[in-house]
Amino acid sequence: MSRATRTWWKTAIGVALTALMLFPLYWMINVSFTQRPAIRRGDLFPRSFTLDNYAVVLHDQLPYLGTSLLIGFGTVLLTLLISAPAAYALSSLFVPGRRLFNFLLIVAQMVPAVVMALGFYTIYVQLGILDTIPGLIVADATIAIPFGVMLFATFMAGIPRELLQAAAVDGASSWATFRRIVLPISRNAAVTVALFAFLWAWSDFIFASTLNREGGRLRPITMGLYDYIGSQNQEWGPLMATAVVASIPTAILLVVAQRYVAAGVTAGAVKD
Amino acid sequence: MRTTPKVRRATGIVFATVVATSLAACGGGSAGSSSSGSASTAVTQIGFWDPYPQYDDSSDWAKYVQACAPSGATIKRTTAPNTDLINNLTTAVREDNAPDVVFLDNPAVPEASASGLLAPLDTVGIAAGDADANLAGPGTVDGKTYGVPIGANTLGLYYNEDILKKAGIDPSAITDWASLNAALEKVTKAGDKGITFAGVPGEEGTFQFLPWFWGAGANLKDIGSSQAVQAGQLVSDWVAKGYAPKSAITDNQSASWDQFLTGKYAFAENGSWFAKAAAAEKFPIKMMPIPSATGGAAPVPTGGEFGVVPVHKDNSAGHYAAAKHVIDCLLGSDKQITTDNMLGYFTANKTTRAQQIAAEPVYAPWTDAINGAQGRTTDLGTDYLTTSAALSKAEQAALNASGDQAKVAEAFKVAAQEAKG
Amino acid sequence: MSQTTASMPGATKEHAPERRPKASRPRLRRRHVTGLIFAAPLIVYLLLFYAYPLAVNVSMSLRRFTRATYVTGEAPFAGADIYKEVLASPQFWPTVEQTAIFVVVSLVFQYTIGLALAVFFYRNFPLSTVLRGLFLVPWLLPIIVSATTWQWMMDADNGILNRFLGLFGVDPIWWLNADNSLWAVIIANIWLGIPFNLVILYSGLQNISKDLYEAAELDGAGPWRRFWSITFPLLRPVTAITLLLGFVYTLKVVDIIWIMTTGTGKSQTLATWAYGMAFGKGTSAVIKYSQASVVGTILLVIALVMGLVYLAVQRREED
Repeated sequence: MSRATRTWWKTAIGVALTALMLFPLYWMINVSFTQRPAIRRGDLFPRSFTLDNYAVVLHDQLPYLGTSLLIGFGTVLLTLLISAPAAYALSSLFVPGRRLFNFLLIVAQMVPAVVMALGFYTIYVQLGILDTIPGLIVADATIAIPFGVMLFATFMAGIPRELLQAAAVDGASSWATFRRIVLPISRNAAVTVALFAFLWAWSDFIFASTLNREGGRLRPITMGLYDYIGSQNQEWGPLMATAVVASIPTAILLVVAQRYVAAGVTAGAVKD
Repeated sequence: MRTTPKVRRATGIVFATVVATSLAACGGGSAGSSSSGSASTAVTQIGFWDPYPQYDDSSDWAKYVQACAPSGATIKRTTAPNTDLINNLTTAVREDNAPDVVFLDNPAVPEASASGLLAPLDTVGIAAGDADANLAGPGTVDGKTYGVPIGANTLGLYYNEDILKKAGIDPSAITDWASLNAALEKVTKAGDKGITFAGVPGEEGTFQFLPWFWGAGANLKDIGSSQAVQAGQLVSDWVAKGYAPKSAITDNQSASWDQFLTGKYAFAENGSWFAKAAAAEKFPIKMMPIPSATGGAAPVPTGGEFGVVPVHKDNSAGHYAAAKHVIDCLLGSDKQITTDNMLGYFTANKTTRAQQIAAEPVYAPWTDAINGAQGRTTDLGTDYLTTSAALSKAEQAALNASGDQAKVAEAFKVAAQEAKG
Repeated sequence: MSQTTASMPGATKEHAPERRPKASRPRLRRRHVTGLIFAAPLIVYLLLFYAYPLAVNVSMSLRRFTRATYVTGEAPFAGADIYKEVLASPQFWPTVEQTAIFVVVSLVFQYTIGLALAVFFYRNFPLSTVLRGLFLVPWLLPIIVSATTWQWMMDADNGILNRFLGLFGVDPIWWLNADNSLWAVIIANIWLGIPFNLVILYSGLQNISKDLYEAAELDGAGPWRRFWSITFPLLRPVTAITLLLGFVYTLKVVDIIWIMTTGTGKSQTLATWAYGMAFGKGTSAVIKYSQASVVGTILLVIALVMGLVYLAVQRREED
């Protein structure tokens, strides 16, 4: 089999696998174009077609989408700012009690979000930053940071010692080493951590509903969704339409970000 | 020497711990301290919580609420699902950060008042209203009134006229369980489906189970009785014979209504809040009272929220004055019809209700149901929640048992023990 | 001299880095300080937002709380009584067993499928970047939407899953009833966890030097052999962290189970049990804060044990 044929074969399988994985998404799109009475019929195609759901969503939900994007980016920034240096410290600077630290990070991730949200609520009320976007960004970053530190540390530990020693011999301070050598090599890890931080902030509901209850328009989309979940009446058509609309910008972001997970960033660095 | 880094590290940790604990202490301290003898200052931003997220800021309801703000103040409305409202209220009262008025689901009112979350109405200065006794019941705990019913809704049996006609069934002949089951059998043989209802775990499921439970003659004080088992067997058999969808164990009332809207089902047990929407559907939907086991209409539970006033430590006089203004404005006897028409509820007073129904003929079949509806917490008070949870578990087990009589009986026996413990 | 400079951290940093052949002691100290400063924000975070709520959680499990005493804070001390009650409750051991099945089966499949996909996407082919990005879409869908969609797809009467199985002659399965609900939520959870594994393992694969593969190919090793001798061993640190974090996260999973089945029947795990009791939801309408905190603490202990295992594995890697 020639090289070209093999790669197209792979594309075909890839598309099939992706289609399988995304079938629930297809179902959501299906329902988003369906009128309410037909939703539970389980039709494979939207036979009772309607655009009303999208009209409602575009009228209601855009401010929430904007807020979610803002919170997402803010969380990514804060997470990277705190976790990258900390991971460098853990993996390369031989901080005493490194094992204890690692252990604490693992423990931190075991705390259920609900328990943390209640703790945050008390602190935020005292500090008066309840129902603010920066407050929510700090809270969301707090979930992502231990993960970020662990992932960065794992990747940074894989940086060849020769590189770091070469820099030290050249007289570089820790900060310079970090900035000029470690960070660029950790690009893969940074993109991965950024992706996760964004996705976690994007899909967070518990922190938003505890810490940003009365934020009005300045609430993220996860809460905007709940406008369609009344106490005795839930509107699944607009709900699905909201989910689809919300997925589009983020899907584009994801595909773009994936390009930055490049191959063999460490390869070649040691040779040079 | 070698200890210096360790010492530095230890100091760092101690310092950070001190910072953290002092912050925590501050947090705990402030929540505990209350400003006693606070002078009453008018509240300019009035907090208002209701469980209607489907009415956003641009809706008629939101504007209607805003119009009830006293001069010089605005109302900040926040919505949350019913199941979350009481928990949000709990954390808010704990930090003395509660709103001024809350519309709380009626079965939660005894629990909220017993936990010290609500201020009695005479403290707030709201006069006892003219609500009917059966509807005002949940708001009174140990002789003190904590809330004003905003209105009421209840359950009935909707039916698809076309399907019944096709199967040759006369709706007025359905008066007891035997005739209902016969109708379900006929309808299924004719190729359609039987009945949808909400068997979802939790209060909503219990709400929907109560007409059958009470209709069998069972009492909430003894949920292990043979009548209770009879009710469980009824719904269990429906699933076994395919009269009811298997999704009943996860469907809530909205989902069960979605099933009915597909036009494939003959009957739907659902609430009066769908009455207007039902009249506008493509196929003709009518309503009949839910039959009891031996004949006649089954007792049905009252749904609907109460306007309650959360406890405030700081500036309580100011907050309570604001609350009184808003509640009188929204729920005063003269305003009840307007408010309830906006929400799709019936008024809490018989006379005004008669006026309301006269103006909206689609509500006429519901008159008797709402007049005879029973409060869920009236007998049991704060014990209702435990009983409700146990009953929900029993119903779930019965539905899962899919007709197995031994399992159904066992389920209710276990539930009775849980309700006591 | 080195000792005096070391005791003043600021002074040490401003000194020009001295070149010493055996610069062990002063270097170490400077590194310690720098390390601490790099890690300082993280330390503050951990103490403020993790240690404090954790302490509150443990304290709640030792005192008898009701909604009323939660508001006032004056709950009577109960010591280990609540722990005894929870451990003796008839629900406890079945729930532990269900949790174990949920976590282990989810992890095994999520990891294996994620790794297989990562290897599949390893060498670029047309559209591979786009497809890889699309694989993450399940993660950005709101959980209420995905979970409800799975619930509909698994509907016993007209769900698409049963219709698909019907094509192969399989009888309709009542996925969401009490007995089968555990498998239903496991399937949905595996679907949800694949993106996480795929992304991390793919990143890990990319960090393995291509030279190793070329050398092995020159030596005549086939793809299977290359995978087991090069890829898998070099992936071990990434595997370890993926499995550990996967374990911790799966242990905490509540949303997808709750939305699909409200944690009824066999789908009840320690996390959903604690959630129901903490918020008075589902068939646990009465709030049981103390019992919920007890189950929460038990969950923490289990996760802690796993964390210790991870550290032991990591230590062996380094030695």
